[in-house]
Amino acid sequence: MDILANIAAAAPLVFSLDVIVAMILGTAVGIGVGALPGLSATMGIAVLIPLTFTMSPLVALGMIAGIYNGAMYGGSIPAILLRIPGTPAGIATVFDGHEMAKQGRARTALRISLVSSAIGSGVSAVALLLVAPPLAAVALKFSPADYFWLALFGMTTIAVLLSDNPAKGFISACFGLVVGMVGIDSMTGTERFTFDQINLLSGVNIIVLLTGLYAIPPAIDLLLGRANLDTSGLTFGGKKERIDWSSFIPVWIRASVIGLFIGLIPALGGNVAALLAWNEQRRVSRSENYSKGAPDGLAAPECANNADTAATLIPALTLGVPGNAVAAVILGAMLVHGLRPGPELFRDNAPTVYGFMLTMLITSGLMYVIGSLGARAFINVLRLPPLLLGPMILALTTVGVYAVQNSMFDVWLMLGFGLIGFGMERLNIPTAPAVLAVILGPMAEASLRRALRISGGDYEYLFSSPISLILVGLIILALLTPIIRRLMARRRAQGADSRSAP
Amino acid sequence: MTKCLTWIATAALGAFSATAAVAEYPERPITMIVAYSAGGGTDIAARTLAPFLEKYLGNDASITVVNRPGAGGEVGFTALANAEADGYTIGFINTPNLLTIPIQRDTRYTLEDIQPVANIVYDPGAFSVLPDAGIENLDQLVEYARVNPGKVTYGTTGIGSDDHLAALAFERQAGVEFQHVPFDGNADVRAAVLGGHIMMASMNVSETIPDADEGTLVLLGQMAEERWEGAPETPTFQEQGYDIVMGSNRSLGAPAGIPDEALQKLSAAAEATMQDPEFIAAAEEQDLALSFRNADQFSQDLQNLQQRYEELWEEQPWIDE
Repeated sequence: MDILANIAAAAPLVFSLDVIVAMILGTAVGIGVGALPGLSATMGIAVLIPLTFTMSPLVALGMIAGIYNGAMYGGSIPAILLRIPGTPAGIATVFDGHEMAKQGRARTALRISLVSSAIGSGVSAVALLLVAPPLAAVALKFSPADYFWLALFGMTTIAVLLSDNPAKGFISACFGLVVGMVGIDSMTGTERFTFDQINLLSGVNIIVLLTGLYAIPPAIDLLLGRANLDTSGLTFGGKKERIDWSSFIPVWIRASVIGLFIGLIPALGGNVAALLAWNEQRRVSRSENYSKGAPDGLAAPECANNADTAATLIPALTLGVPGNAVAAVILGAMLVHGLRPGPELFRDNAPTVYGFMLTMLITSGLMYVIGSLGARAFINVLRLPPLLLGPMILALTTVGVYAVQNSMFDVWLMLGFGLIGFGMERLNIPTAPAVLAVILGPMAEASLRRALRISGGDYEYLFSSPISLILVGLIILALLTPIIRRLMARRRAQGADSRSAP
Repeated sequence: MTKCLTWIATAALGAFSATAAVAEYPERPITMIVAYSAGGGTDIAARTLAPFLEKYLGNDASITVVNRPGAGGEVGFTALANAEADGYTIGFINTPNLLTIPIQRDTRYTLEDIQPVANIVYDPGAFSVLPDAGIENLDQLVEYARVNPGKVTYGTTGIGSDDHLAALAFERQAGVEFQHVPFDGNADVRAAVLGGHIMMASMNVSETIPDADEGTLVLLGQMAEERWEGAPETPTFQEQGYDIVMGSNRSLGAPAGIPDEALQKLSAAAEATMQDPEFIAAAEEQDLALSFRNADQFSQDLQNLQQRYEELWEEQPWIDE
């Protein structure tokens, strides 16, 4: 048992005072960074790197692990309480989490979210510790054709999200697709919808769009005195809502597997994991309660986006292939400390690497502790007078979005999207399809065109790998399930009618 | 009493202006603009360099790194070019982007707006393939491409990147045709070539050497004039009979017209940094291919490079217009 020996060798390094302090600090900072709209784990870690120059590697990595795990959970706090996802990965948390808060169950929602996040992080960290090398191979298997189908599969979620009013949902999705097209076309170098504006050449940053569409409309509502939160159920007293944790176990299993898998595949992030997990949970369960405040619909994305964290590090550490922006920044931080990712990392620096992986596991526990302690403080946010909360949200989002690229243009863009989002809400046009389209549209387009370049324009290539075929099957299944279910329901209803008729 | 105060004030003012005249650069914090995101390769190089520059500038110098990413570097380069030329705003400039962006589209800066200070890193381009491709040098690659037209797919970090321009130049010299597959970043290219989805990676040599050392990729050649000491066993393209020298520089720049004193001090501090054993060790850990050029040498290099890119654009624009 090579791995266990390595873990045993790393443990004493991890349980030293400075590393533990670093992990606690990192986790607390991470939750804060995640909770503030606009700020993300990527930025938190990037800002931290120069500060870690003088630290020992494991102190720096322990702090990074804390920030990474903490931020994934932190993003869901404003998502639940205010309908503002703190990070892109919090988008799916809004669907059911905020509905629960509206029903006065914010406290329960925060607990479910925290436990699910901690479990997701824990599972993912254990996978990282024990089976990293074999899982890493999956990361390289994905061809551009597979990415294309995966993006399409993600987009089937849109179809589900617009069930109430398809026409309005499609308007929203098309708006998102157009926004996703802005910028230099990476296949030809042509500028698209940039209006000679250099700040648009790199496209619209997803954080700018997300914050605009999600954070600004509630702030305007608060200022207009139209907040629709039910704060009556927030009183702290003896009566905690009883939660039947055992019913979540199948949800967590499914969501952890989805999160792990998405984490392994480069270029996909916690946002995709959370969306797919939410959609899958909704598909599997036959309840109609999703996006109306179903606890399962909150547990699934929360568990999945945290299961994504350590999984992203699997290809990053073993192959040096960072799965997302956070992993890329972490690799940068490791290089600064002379730790070059790849197979030789495990040979030459085993104690440090295993120590880092252990800190990923420990910080998922710390996240639970710090999150529980903080829950009381977080929930007080809802008791702030609306006229105070509104300007606070505006100020925090402005600072957060500015910090992403040190760009005032982004701030104006965010406010512009905020007005659009406010208008969409007034017209009852859902905003979620637009966000999904911005995340997945460019990925689908670029990977399709990449695939066709590789094949020399031959469409057969799109169906040539087993992964592609599985994904195509999943897409067909996802699209047909509601239709089949509706047909069956109708038949059953007709059967009941004919029976009841004399 | 009033008179007395006036006297003191005058004396104090006099003393203050006297020190101001004697005060040496730098007397207040310096901003260093990095045109790429925090945590990326350029950013980390800049943040590694900054404390050493502070040390050699002396005078309790302090340098703050500010990231202005976007548009392939254009946002940051424009900010640098338009900053006040007082020596208190400097920046990292990267080739070929600094030179190629104004060639391929209208920009609000030109090379004339930027004063090169010193070159820090020169990272030559390189081609690499999987070991099971059975190709070990450029001649074999050309032979393979002749026999299997359209089969050589290569990945780069994007249209107009040094990786892309290098491959275009090679195709023209060798008279073969490759299929270009642009990706969003170096990590994506690497994953695609290691996964066998594309045949060849056109990446900088420092980004390829860890895989070559590990035996997971075969380096076919590096596009330097002389072999980089980090990859002493990889022959250059010129050694193999292809006259291609291309790569990317990471350098220090300032707005044109900065005071001569500031320019000299910055350039000297950069030179001293590059001889500091501690900095060299840090650079080695990050696979930075160090190559110092002072302000004059590097200005000349940039002029030459710009001319080459303009010629390349004349013959074969890399963007469909």
